[in-house]
Amino acid sequence: MRRRDAWWLAWPLLAALLLLLGYPIVYALRLAFTDPLTGASPQLVNFSQLARDPLFWQALRNNALLPLASVALELVTALALALFLSQRFRGRAGLRAIVILPFALPEIVVLAMMRYIFVPRGYANAALAALGVSPLDWLRPGSALAWATVVLVDAWHVTPVVFLILLAALAGIPEEIGEAAQLDGAGPLARLWRITLPLLKPALVAALLLRGVDALRIFATPLVLTGVEGVPVLSSYAYHQWADYGNDALAAAAATVLALLSVTLSVPLLRLRAEDA
Amino acid sequence: MRRAAAIAIAGAMLSCAVLLPLALILKQAVTPDAESFAWPPTWLPRQPTLDNFRALLGSAELPYGLRLSVAVALLTVLSTLTLTVSAAWAAARVSPVGRRLDAVLVVVRVFPSLALAVPMAVLFVRFGLYNNPAGIGLWIAHTLVALPFAFFVLRNAFRRIPVELEEAAQLDGATRFGAVWRVTLPLARPSLAAAALLVFLVSWDEFAYALLLQVTNRPLPPLLYYFSAFGYPGMASAVAAIMLVPALAIIAVLAPAIRAGGLSGSGR
Repeated sequence: MRRRDAWWLAWPLLAALLLLLGYPIVYALRLAFTDPLTGASPQLVNFSQLARDPLFWQALRNNALLPLASVALELVTALALALFLSQRFRGRAGLRAIVILPFALPEIVVLAMMRYIFVPRGYANAALAALGVSPLDWLRPGSALAWATVVLVDAWHVTPVVFLILLAALAGIPEEIGEAAQLDGAGPLARLWRITLPLLKPALVAALLLRGVDALRIFATPLVLTGVEGVPVLSSYAYHQWADYGNDALAAAAATVLALLSVTLSVPLLRLRAEDA
Repeated sequence: MRRAAAIAIAGAMLSCAVLLPLALILKQAVTPDAESFAWPPTWLPRQPTLDNFRALLGSAELPYGLRLSVAVALLTVLSTLTLTVSAAWAAARVSPVGRRLDAVLVVVRVFPSLALAVPMAVLFVRFGLYNNPAGIGLWIAHTLVALPFAFFVLRNAFRRIPVELEEAAQLDGATRFGAVWRVTLPLARPSLAAAALLVFLVSWDEFAYALLLQVTNRPLPPLLYYFSAFGYPGMASAVAAIMLVPALAIIAVLAPAIRAGGLSGSGR
C-alpha cells in the first residue's frame, strides 16, 4: 500500500485531533497571551501576574518535586515487588492480582477512600490511637507531612503500572545467568547489583520516562486530599484560577506553563519509542 | 521453613496494604453516617444498613449521574472506535505512518488534562456545551482522552494479524477493502471488544474533565467528590461501591489481555 493511501485512512483520526486537541491549544495560547482588560495581544501581562503570585511558584515547585518523589518511590517499590513476586511459591498468582488491584480502582474512589483514612478523625489516626501513639495531622495544608501523604497515595495507586513493566522484563531474563553467577560464588546482593539491575535497565528507563511525564499531570490527588492551597500543583492552580476566580486568562497562562513542561519532557520518551519501533 | 514464613508475612502485609483501604470504603457504604462520624471510628459496622444506597436511589443526583456516566461512556466507545479503526490499520501496515501516528498519540496520551480542560471549558461556555445536561461537551472531551487507548490496542491487534491473509483474499478476487472487512476485522473482533471495554472504563473513571465541564450536571466521579467534600461519607462510599462494580468487572475481563501485553502502550 502506498504511503499516501495510508495517510488518507488516518485522516478521521487526524481531523479529530486537530479539532479536539489543536483548537483548544491554540485558543489557550491566545487567552494566555491576551491582556484580559484591554484585549491587546500578544501581551505578557498574564505571565507577569503569575510571576508575582507566590501560590504559583509553590505550585511550580511542587509540580517538579512531587513527581520526582512519587516516581522514585514507585520505582523502588515496584522493583522490590517484582523481585519478590517473580520467586516461585504457592499463592503467587493471587498475590500478584492483589498487587495490581489498586490500578483497577477509579482514581476518585482511591482518593475518597484515602481521604477518609488520613483526615484527623480518620482510620490512620484511629490505628495510631489504638497503638497508644498521638494522632498526626496528615493533611494539614502546607505541611511536609501532607506533601508526603500525597506522594504516598499517588504511589499507592500507580505503582502497579511500573510493577507490570518490571515483572515482564524480569521474566525475560534467563535464569541460567543467575545460576551461573551463583556457581561462581556471587551472593544474592551481588547478583541483583551486577546482573539483574543492568539487565533491567531498559525497562527501568522506559518506566521512569513513562511515569515521569505522566506524573506531571498530577491534579486530583492533591486537590481531593488537601484542597487547592494545601499542596498546590500547576493543574490545581489553573483549576483554582478558573473555577474560583473566573480568571480564564491566568488559568490559561498556568496551563501553558504546564503544557510546555509536559511537551519538553515527552521528547526523551518519544526518542526511546522511536528506537524501539 | 524460614523462607515460607517470610513469604507468608510479606504476603499478608501486602494484602493488608491493598485490601484494607478498599474494605474500609465498602464498610462505610453500609454504615450510618452517625457511626462514620464517631471517634474512634469503628472498623466493622455496628449497625450495617442499606440506608445510604436507599437515600442515593431516592435522590435526583444518583439516577441522573448514573445515566449520564453510562451514556457518555457508551458514546465515547462509539466515537473513539470509529475514529481510530482505519488509522490503526494504516499504522500497523505502513510503518512510516505508524511511527508518526505513534508519536502523535503518545503526546496526546501524556498531555496534561487541565491544560486542555480549561480552554475547553471556556470554549464550551461560548458554544453552549458547558455543563450540558446530556453531557455532549464531556463526550467530546472523553473522546480525545480515549483516542490513544483505542489506537494502541487496535494497532497492536492488526500487527498480530498477518498481512498475508489479506493478500491471499485479494488473490481470490477480493478488493483490498473487502479483504480487510471480511478477513482482518473478524479476526480482530476480540481486540475490538477489548478496546471498547477499555475505552468505556477510561470514560467511566475520568475525573478532571468531568469536574470542570459538568459543574452541576454531574456524572458519578464528580458526584462522589461532591458527596465526600460536603460531608456525606455514607453516600460518597456508596457511590464508590457502585462505581467499583463495572470497573472491577471490566478489569477482570481484560486481565488476560493485560498480562499478554495486548494493551501495552496504553498505560493500563
